[in-house]
Amino acid sequence: MVEAADYQCDFENKWCPGCGNFGIVNAMKDALAALDLPAEKVLLVSGIGQAAKTPHFLKCNFFHGLHGRALAVATGAKIANHDISVLVNMGDGDCYGEGGNHFLAAIRRNIDITLLVHDNRVYGLTKGQASPTSDRGFVTRIQAEGARSDPMNPVALALSQGAGFVARGYCGSTDQLGDLIRQGLEYPGFSLIDILQVCVSFNHVNTYDWYRERAFDINENGHQPGDLQAAMKYAYPEGDRIPTGLIYRKETVPFTQRIRRLNAGPLLGQEYDRQRVQSLIRDA
Amino acid sequence: MGIDVTVKIGGEAGQGIQTVGELLAQACHQSGLYLMAVNDFESRIRGGHSFMQLRISDRPIRAPDHRVHLLIALNEWTLQTHRSEVTQGGRVIFDSEAGGSDELILPVPVTKLARKAGGRIMANTVAAGACLSMLGAPVKTLEQVLRQRFGDKKAEVLENNLNAAKSGVEAVAGVPFDWAFQWPDRAPAGKLLSGARVLALGALAAQCRFAAFYPMSPATDVMVNLSEFEAQLPLVVEQAEGEIAAVNMVIGASFAGVRAMTATSGGGFALMSEGLGLAGITETPIVLINSQRPGPATGLPTRTAQADLRFMLHAAQDDFPRFILAPGSLEAAFETMVRAFELADKYQVPVIVTTDQYFNDSLAIVDKALELPEGIDRHIVGDADMDDPAAYKRFAFTDSGVSPRALPCSGKALVMASGNEHQEDGHISERISDRIGQMDKRQCKLEGMQKEVRVPETVYPDGRVLLVGWGSTSGMIRESVEMLRAWGVDAGAVCFTDIWPFPEAEVTEILDHCRRFYMVEQNATAQLGWLIRERTGRKFAQAVLKYDGRPFFPREIADKVKAYEEVS
Repeated sequence: MVEAADYQCDFENKWCPGCGNFGIVNAMKDALAALDLPAEKVLLVSGIGQAAKTPHFLKCNFFHGLHGRALAVATGAKIANHDISVLVNMGDGDCYGEGGNHFLAAIRRNIDITLLVHDNRVYGLTKGQASPTSDRGFVTRIQAEGARSDPMNPVALALSQGAGFVARGYCGSTDQLGDLIRQGLEYPGFSLIDILQVCVSFNHVNTYDWYRERAFDINENGHQPGDLQAAMKYAYPEGDRIPTGLIYRKETVPFTQRIRRLNAGPLLGQEYDRQRVQSLIRDA
Repeated sequence: MGIDVTVKIGGEAGQGIQTVGELLAQACHQSGLYLMAVNDFESRIRGGHSFMQLRISDRPIRAPDHRVHLLIALNEWTLQTHRSEVTQGGRVIFDSEAGGSDELILPVPVTKLARKAGGRIMANTVAAGACLSMLGAPVKTLEQVLRQRFGDKKAEVLENNLNAAKSGVEAVAGVPFDWAFQWPDRAPAGKLLSGARVLALGALAAQCRFAAFYPMSPATDVMVNLSEFEAQLPLVVEQAEGEIAAVNMVIGASFAGVRAMTATSGGGFALMSEGLGLAGITETPIVLINSQRPGPATGLPTRTAQADLRFMLHAAQDDFPRFILAPGSLEAAFETMVRAFELADKYQVPVIVTTDQYFNDSLAIVDKALELPEGIDRHIVGDADMDDPAAYKRFAFTDSGVSPRALPCSGKALVMASGNEHQEDGHISERISDRIGQMDKRQCKLEGMQKEVRVPETVYPDGRVLLVGWGSTSGMIRESVEMLRAWGVDAGAVCFTDIWPFPEAEVTEILDHCRRFYMVEQNATAQLGWLIRERTGRKFAQAVLKYDGRPFFPREIADKVKAYEEVS
């Protein structure tokens, strides 16, 4: 049996005390343990940002790449070996800003990976600039008049683009979040979990108290994740209240199953028949 | 004197110039002749002005010729633009119903004959028929080619094309042509391949299993050719959402354990630079083809250049080891690809294979057998190779700088990689000892890499003057050297195939033998020339540079060198 403690990593943590990322890491460990997934079956891929440091704080295989590009790396890795579970950690700036096009492409491919977006509505690593999900008017040192652009809504965007698994979690509700991550990992296809995350250093608007008052669990309220119209409604806040939980789920064909060649097993393990290659080259 | 005839076919894009060229090329190929076909086209799908230049010989051909013996002008523009290139005794077949043949121009109602044979689309076949007939090719040669090309189509299609070809042959029957020659009846001398196809076949031979790309001329054809084999081999070719995605996918696939590559041109390569650095610091083997075209930015999208050398040397921040290989011929490119994957795995570095539009889009007879390497060593370790897999460190310090490479999710050994500077186990580190240790570890691979580098190929290395170039211009330079020697200039050639790491000692020795050396490059500033200066202290006397986007002709190189020699 795999236990959450198996993922315990003694590498020095580099986040601020009270950071929302701690809750996310704990939820990840719970989910991996719940699925009995040992570290050698899991690959964590991340971009750049505070969220992207996450893989360093779990004991696992990981590839910590470039800002915005984690989904592309994860896609290549999954195509190469689709037997492994791939989890991607990105921040809101990383995923929705720098990596926006890869986000759209990952939805279209329906690549079977689980994307955790640590969405704290601010740039933490670079010390507090507005992010793609910051509210208009969000004041920072560089946006003294407040952010001038409207925030994007990643959940609504993912739903509108046909994503098959869309959830919104909250870093303060570790049990719910762990369960969402578990379901995302089990889901055959691309799964997005946008995580409302607190930044204790640079976002003094969207705080623990702020979220505690607003976040509510739609699945407890009886929401059926197969209902796209209801899901679209929950993509947006209801007044002051922010819906969390599994917003939408539908059956889809994951990317690696769309590649006929991969029905024969992971690309990495397939036999490369020398004779056949030689004869193909001879006849080419 | 053997056969050496050039046919130029010109017209609008969409008129099927390439089809005429391919029919001629196949006819030559099947008769046992050698040929080289160079494509020249504008960045448009219809209209404009395009041509294909086909040089035919009974000996291997490595460069286009500036003289045109037979011009097929499918429009007025071609006639006016290229008639001056037609050499003594040459002819022009001009698509016209007007008649009025003279010594040069032979009007043939190509389009009209095509309509009669079943449709305007058959104009290519009429032209091919007329052209082959002028050259003295046996009728059965063209018939054979048409049967191969249209044999699997409806019987009517083949029938119409045979009729079209026949009408082309008849239209020029009895016309005297000084450059007609006796067609041999030999077995094909080798395979008729494009540069892009050779690169793809080389990747297959190297067991490349994953390729990601974003469409960009002139690199796309490498991927088109590779994707043809997706159904038959463990191979996935994915069109990425951009070049940045492509290179990152390749890095991900390689990290997970399969050999992976991408192909692009200058603009795409610029977008891939950060990824190149990521492959450098994470020591992930990747193979990247940069097929050059003139820039900056979009430049001349369908034309040729060798102007990215400096950029490829330095692309991405800071220093990290890389290979840059520039095959000098289609034959060589197959082995270059096999070598590129081997070197990438062996040293855990990115390998750039650089070609250009001229190289990728040209067709030639490859008469060297394309043989698979004996075996492939992936240079990968597993749990069984370790005393304690739990203690595995992906970036362990070693004497060679190359750390044992395990694959993630292949055992108990955890593989951790980061684009941040890291400690031996892959975790981020800002400690001075880790930074210096890892930087030195990566850089010290260069010592081993240097030993892998091949000395430039030389012809007449004892020549008083040497012509120095790199990559695809090798064929033109060699031929220009023969011309110069025939004119009494004691010339030789130095053709670089491996550019980085730079073969410093060897190049110094070669250059110290000559009185003067001239650079021959398809860029505006002699990029290799200055690299030679930087690495050896030796300075070129003059440079023959061409940056109009068109490939060199041997004669123009020879002319310029001769002129330089006369004043020196």
